[in-house]
Order: sequence, then structure tokens, then C-alpha cells
Amino acid sequence: GTLLSAILIGIAV
Amino acid sequence: MLEACLPLLEEARVEALEWSFDVLYQTAETPAWFHDLLTAFSKEERLIGHGVFFSLFSGRWLPEQDVWLQHLRTCCATFHFDHITEHFGFMTGTDFHQGAPLNIPYTASTLAIGQDRLKRIYEACACPVGLENLAFAYSIDDVQRQGSFLDELLHPINGFIILDLHNLWCQLHNFSIPYEQLIHLYPLDRVREIHISGGSWDDSLLETGRRIRRDTHDDAVPAAVFDLFRQTIPRCPHLKYVVMEQLGNGLTSHKSKQQFYADFVTMASIVDTANQQREAGATHAFLPAEQLYLGQPLEDETLYQQQRELANILESAGSFDAARHLLLTSSLAGTAWHVEQWDAAMIETAVKIAQKWKEGF
Repeated sequence: GTLLSAILIGIAV
Repeated sequence: MLEACLPLLEEARVEALEWSFDVLYQTAETPAWFHDLLTAFSKEERLIGHGVFFSLFSGRWLPEQDVWLQHLRTCCATFHFDHITEHFGFMTGTDFHQGAPLNIPYTASTLAIGQDRLKRIYEACACPVGLENLAFAYSIDDVQRQGSFLDELLHPINGFIILDLHNLWCQLHNFSIPYEQLIHLYPLDRVREIHISGGSWDDSLLETGRRIRRDTHDDAVPAAVFDLFRQTIPRCPHLKYVVMEQLGNGLTSHKSKQQFYADFVTMASIVDTANQQREAGATHAFLPAEQLYLGQPLEDETLYQQQRELANILESAGSFDAARHLLLTSSLAGTAWHVEQWDAAMIETAVKIAQKWKEGF
């Protein structure tokens, strides 16, 4: 499996 | 927050998106541009959902939890999530969108309630379900038992763990535990996601010179957390997602946005290096091995009343001494909560956490 770089989003909207 | 993320999105550095799907509750609908962003990642099967407010261990089944599950069903009908996660603990607030997650006693009752709630989340989303390790602990015993308790909790749904490395670092620091000792207490074969974030220091008023590390998510990622990240990746055979996490209130200045960008690039470069040691192929599914059966929601009214009493004490105590006195004379005394053994500086911290978040986000 390949690792994926992500961001957490949601608070700002 | 979005201003900080925009350069990363424009440069196509973001390979997956984690959405806190329940913080939009108070808006009528998701803004169109945000809907498009979620749809783009959803179509690529690179969208994951992270809940904040479910309060997994609430002793009483709350009407708001039914609403939360219905909201999750609606989200899952609109977008494809690769997995859904929530936080370990119960929320201190009386209002469903207030409070902060705090720890619970590790008992047969809390285990059964947690397993019941996880089955309901799985029933609503029909995709892998996971839990994030909690930074806050009342005592070193809490810290040392959280990993095995998580393993038992997740067993019926074959769920996974979000290992928040800053949360782990908080525990390493606050309870002076070596990394090698604590990491072995976690079922690392259940780790499908890692969180990378920052936090802040809190000077204890009780113990001069003692600093408590808190997961406030409002500052840059410490070098120590990146070091833990490098050490932990090879130990997690089923890891898939690595997520940079920071609250918008820590990203108000140009400098903080630049730091967020730099932290993401550092994180991504570590991921790229790790990927050279991995090969493309199927990863662990983290789906239940057999059909799950749901009856009436499990409840423990005594536990619920203890949770409310604890939250009230922490949210209203004028001082540490007052909080400690109230705890030792409360219905929690002499029970599995073991309030008599709670670390004084951590009670002080619990008061600060509860009072900080009692008005909500």
C-alpha cells in the first residue's frame, strides 16, 4: 500500500 | 484555514482530504465551492470523514446521537468516504456541540457501550470505522491501558486506529514514559491513519516548573513529533493516510500559514521516503468479519450521571483545590473512575480544558 498525504478541513466553513 | 490550504491544493500536493463532516451542522447547507472540492476527492476515493461531536461513551443514548447518525447517512449518500472516524472519550458539554472529549473508566460497561456505538456508526456509513487515541489522561494507568482498550473496542467491527502522534507525545511528556515503552502498548496493526499536529505548553500552577503538553492544535508541528512519525511509520503495516491537522484559530497570521505549508511539505517528504519502502497493492480492508446485530442502544444511567457530575465539577470549579475536593466527595469517589489516583496537574488541566470548551467551538 502507498501512503497518502492529507489535510484535515472543516472548521473554517 | 482554507487560505493556508489553498497553495497546497493548487500545487496538487494534497493526495487526500479529511473532512470534519459534523462541524457544518449549524449551516443550512455546504457551500457550493466546498461541495465541489469534496466531490473531487470523493470521486478519486480519497475522501475520509472525521467526526467530533458523537460522544462515543455517553452513558445515556442521546437524541442528538440519532440525529448525528442520520447526518452521517446523508453525507455518505452524497459522497463516497474511504473511512469514517471519531474520537475516544465522552464530551463534557451538555449541549451536543459544546465541550471537549475526556477519558472514561475502562470497565465492562464502557466497553459494551463503546462497541454498541461503533456498530451504529458502521451501520450508518457502511465503510471502515476508526477511533483516534486521546491525548488527555487522568493518570499513568489510563495512558498504559488505552491501547489495549482500543483494541478490544474495535474488535467487533474490525475497526482501526487513528494514531495521533502529537497526542502520543503529550502522554510521553506528561507522564515521563519512554516512546519504546508506550508504543508497544498500542495495537499498531490496527493503525490505518496517522495525525500530525501541534499544540501548546501549559505551566502548572500546582507544581512549579512542571509544564503540561496539550493538544490545542493551534501551533506548528514540533520537531519531536516528526521524529516520532519517522520512527512509527515502519511499525504500522496497514497505514494508508497521514493527515496534517491544525485549527483555523492558529492560522491567522501570514507567518503561521507559511509554517503550515512548510510542515505539510516536511510531512509529505517523510511519506515519500516511506513509500520507497512500500509497494502498491491492496491494503487491509478493516471491515467486520460477520454481520452485526443491533438491538436497543445500550445505556448505563449511573455512568451518565457520573459523567454529568464530572463535567459540572470541571466546568464550574473556581480552583484546583475546589475541583479536587468536589471530586473526592462526588459519586465518582470509590468507583472505577479512581479519582483518588488522578494526577493533580492533570485535574488542573482537565478544569482548563472543560472551561475552555464549555461555550463550544
